[in-house]
Amino acid sequence: MKREYPSPPDPKDEPGGFPSWAERWLKLLMAPHLREELLGDLQEMFLQRRQQHGSFKARLFYLWQMLLLLHPRLWRREATTTSPSYLSQLNHYPKPAFTTMFQNTFLVAWRKLRRHKSYTLINVLSLSLGMASVILIFTLVKYHLSFDTFHVHKDRIYRITTEFHEDKIRFNTGVPSPLGEAFRQDYPVAEKVARVAFLTKRVVAVSPQKKFEEDVAFAEPAFFDIIHLPLVPGTAPNVFQGRQTALITERLAKKYFGEQTAVGQTIRIDDSLVVSVAGVLQDLPRNTDFRSEIYVPFSHLNEHSPGLVEKDWWYSVNKQMQCFIRLKPGVSAAAVNDLVLSAISRTYYDEKMAQLFRFKLQPLADLHFNPDLGGYTEKKNLWAFAFIGFILIITTCVNFVNLATAQALGRAKEIGIRKILGSQPRTLFWQFIAETTLLTGFALLLASTLAYLILPFVNQLFELQLELNPGQDISLLLFLAVLMLVVIFLAGSYPGLILARFQPIVALKGKLSQKQIGGFSLRKGLVITQFAISQLLIMGTLVIAHQMRYARQADLGFDKEAIVLLPVPDVHKAKSHALGAQFSRVTGVEKVTFCYEAPTSEYSPTTGILFDSRPEAEKFSIVQKFGDQEYVPTFGLKIVAGRNLLPADTIREYLLNESAVRALGFTVNQSVLGKKAVINGHRGTVVGVVKDFHNKSFHAAIDPLCITTLSENYATYGIKVNLKSLATSLPQLQKAWDATYPTAIFTYRFLDEDIARAYQLDTMIQWLIQAFAGIAIFIGCLGLYGLVAFMATQKTKEIGVRKVLGASLGSILWLFYREFLRLLLLAFVVAAPLAWWLMHEWLSNFVYRVELGSRIFVLAILITGGIALITVGYQSLKAALTNPVQSLRSE
Amino acid sequence: MKGEQLGEFEELVLLTIAYLYERAYSVAVMEELSQRLERPLSLGAVHRTMQRLEEKGMVLSHLGEATAERGGRRKRLFTVTAAGEQALHDLRRIRHELWTGIPQAAWGGSL
Repeated sequence: MKREYPSPPDPKDEPGGFPSWAERWLKLLMAPHLREELLGDLQEMFLQRRQQHGSFKARLFYLWQMLLLLHPRLWRREATTTSPSYLSQLNHYPKPAFTTMFQNTFLVAWRKLRRHKSYTLINVLSLSLGMASVILIFTLVKYHLSFDTFHVHKDRIYRITTEFHEDKIRFNTGVPSPLGEAFRQDYPVAEKVARVAFLTKRVVAVSPQKKFEEDVAFAEPAFFDIIHLPLVPGTAPNVFQGRQTALITERLAKKYFGEQTAVGQTIRIDDSLVVSVAGVLQDLPRNTDFRSEIYVPFSHLNEHSPGLVEKDWWYSVNKQMQCFIRLKPGVSAAAVNDLVLSAISRTYYDEKMAQLFRFKLQPLADLHFNPDLGGYTEKKNLWAFAFIGFILIITTCVNFVNLATAQALGRAKEIGIRKILGSQPRTLFWQFIAETTLLTGFALLLASTLAYLILPFVNQLFELQLELNPGQDISLLLFLAVLMLVVIFLAGSYPGLILARFQPIVALKGKLSQKQIGGFSLRKGLVITQFAISQLLIMGTLVIAHQMRYARQADLGFDKEAIVLLPVPDVHKAKSHALGAQFSRVTGVEKVTFCYEAPTSEYSPTTGILFDSRPEAEKFSIVQKFGDQEYVPTFGLKIVAGRNLLPADTIREYLLNESAVRALGFTVNQSVLGKKAVINGHRGTVVGVVKDFHNKSFHAAIDPLCITTLSENYATYGIKVNLKSLATSLPQLQKAWDATYPTAIFTYRFLDEDIARAYQLDTMIQWLIQAFAGIAIFIGCLGLYGLVAFMATQKTKEIGVRKVLGASLGSILWLFYREFLRLLLLAFVVAAPLAWWLMHEWLSNFVYRVELGSRIFVLAILITGGIALITVGYQSLKAALTNPVQSLRSE
Repeated sequence: MKGEQLGEFEELVLLTIAYLYERAYSVAVMEELSQRLERPLSLGAVHRTMQRLEEKGMVLSHLGEATAERGGRRKRLFTVTAAGEQALHDLRRIRHELWTGIPQAAWGGSL
């Protein structure tokens, strides 16, 4: 029978190969005699599709066809041509008693499930939806928790960061550039100390025609002893020692040089620094925050950006200039913070500045989870998702228990007979667990497929690179196994126990009532739980959506529409200044300003201020915005007193915002005009006051702020364009740009997109909560539907009698609704305070926020009530409309 | 016995198998039919129908040759049996009789 055939090409070798894991699943499922032809068919169709539509669509098509294949015929054994007698079959397959019993248990379970089709369908649907969400949540949480966990000695790796202790504490990922050297020289607590400057978006040229924008890191050699980024095998071990050398990743090597060997090739960074590739790093793992793919020796920083490494300059901190250390074993971070780093502050600063500049060790594990220090998110967000996942699993299990106990009544006779025939409670319990296992197993299969299909969309939406690969990922497999076990026992054991405890005589007499099953009050409690969870999620969604809409639509105090931001390589000042004049002549351009950055930005320089003739510096620090006289009109800022800045290249005049005026102790705007102020060592006159605008996201308060001219700090063009002629304006802007900067890359972005990006995390949370709320509600509805269906059959006779006695349709419907409305209200009592508290916590993250009105709570209860009524409606209406002749006949 | 009757989709598949004669296997039948019906069919549906036809004795099948594009797997080729042919002829005859028997007035409802 078995025939050797050439093994198919290994799909892993082939980009865009067909999903081999799917094939493995199918192989497990399908009856052996169908295997060959069906897998052949699928592969043949896949190859055809791939030629016509590309591999992504072909894969989707493959999975879709595979799903459509799932049908009992797929796993039905081949019909035997001559039907052998039962006995000869037994002889043919001698089996030990245990497996026969085991198989029998599952066979009975399978027949049960087939007989109660709607029951099975509801359970599988809700279980698989819940499980799919949980699988996705698990993948997401695991991905983020795995960041930078692969480094050797990861527990001893720290970054030194700076804290500015002013009226409040500000955090900075960077340190003054001499700090690394001082730490290395003076205190022998670290095995390795390395300074690194991470510069983003530099222009890397392989040839005049081939230019790319990359993040470049300037690192001391010790960096590679601390952070584990392995070289491609075969590259010389002590690269990075000589000058003019660089390390690039394999990915970049391929992108730059194709099939040629990268080692020995030269690349040019920012049109100034020429380095040759000395070694090739292995591609960066997905789960690292060290995203630089080009490393250049630290010593080159002097040529490239001398401003970053001014010798012995302790008074400026740049977030790009960072310092990593690996402590000696046994040295505690707390001790280093308390003794070493405070000693450094005292040694290199005077007493007042030592109060301001404080340094702290940040553990490697904190890098990804500290938004204050450039981290991606906070851990509590991840735990919130894990919690939601937990809730979803609970609701699905609630459904299950609900339906199963409801159904138990209908099975009383079966149980009774089994007991009389000698079944032990234990066997009955396992019988029920077997049913649950079948259901859960099928749901898990469906859930994994669902999760796999949804994952690409999740990745695209959140710009992630999550993977689901149970074949390679042991922890995922383990998780699936645990999930399955938990669901089986959470959902299966309670109904199982109840069924097993039936008194056979009572059950057989058909005298078992709801009360005796014991599930009644419990089921009520469970429905309340489900309602409460749905309401909680709905309220959360409403509040978050409300706040996000407020943030998007609220007046920021400046124009964000139709403004193009164009960062300029800050090498040739004269050139970039001339460029502005060219830009303003482009048709469709309304206004052009040359500035440091847009009005809103998380990283504006802050500094001290000395006002008027006051003897001491002010207690607060002020944010500086640099821009020319067009800054205010281009961004649509409003001047409430005085006038705009006059054209100048240096600091002569200041515009203050209202917050700054208030912080200085003035209420009448006019009175600050004409006063002198010394800000960051520059003396100027206050000529005007601008209306407050949001210089950060709504999470933060508006800072005291000043706007002034200082052309040496300009790095960005803000260009207000007419949106109608945008398509013709942009190429013209690029033409002017290319003429001025032939070696640089023209990259522009829109201000409103920039602002939207600041709310990305919030938008993402909103989206996820919405999705989960939807799923929870849907699962809840499925449960409710099943429950009402059961209730309706229970009450058939009661309804019949009532109708005969003249009850109206409305009064019968009310019979059903009354019950559910009561539960709904009880759930609201539980959910509302909890939602209020949670949302209050969330909103307190925002300084500018919406109010928590009663509207949201009313809306939430109306929505859940409406959904519940619709769900209950169909079944109860059907029950109410049944002709009593039908329902009463059997008695 | 329900096994003796042909459903509409079964009839179509059986006809296609006859039409494709020696080239009739699941993918070919699926493509031929979905082109003619102008709607996408799933492999599963076609495959199941062919299995049912075989159980009803309308078709016979054997494994054909292996090809590289199928990963070295053989295809299952189908031929119509005498019983299948008989069933198709019967259906055609019944349809024909009904068609010719429709009175003219039946179409003129809008007059």
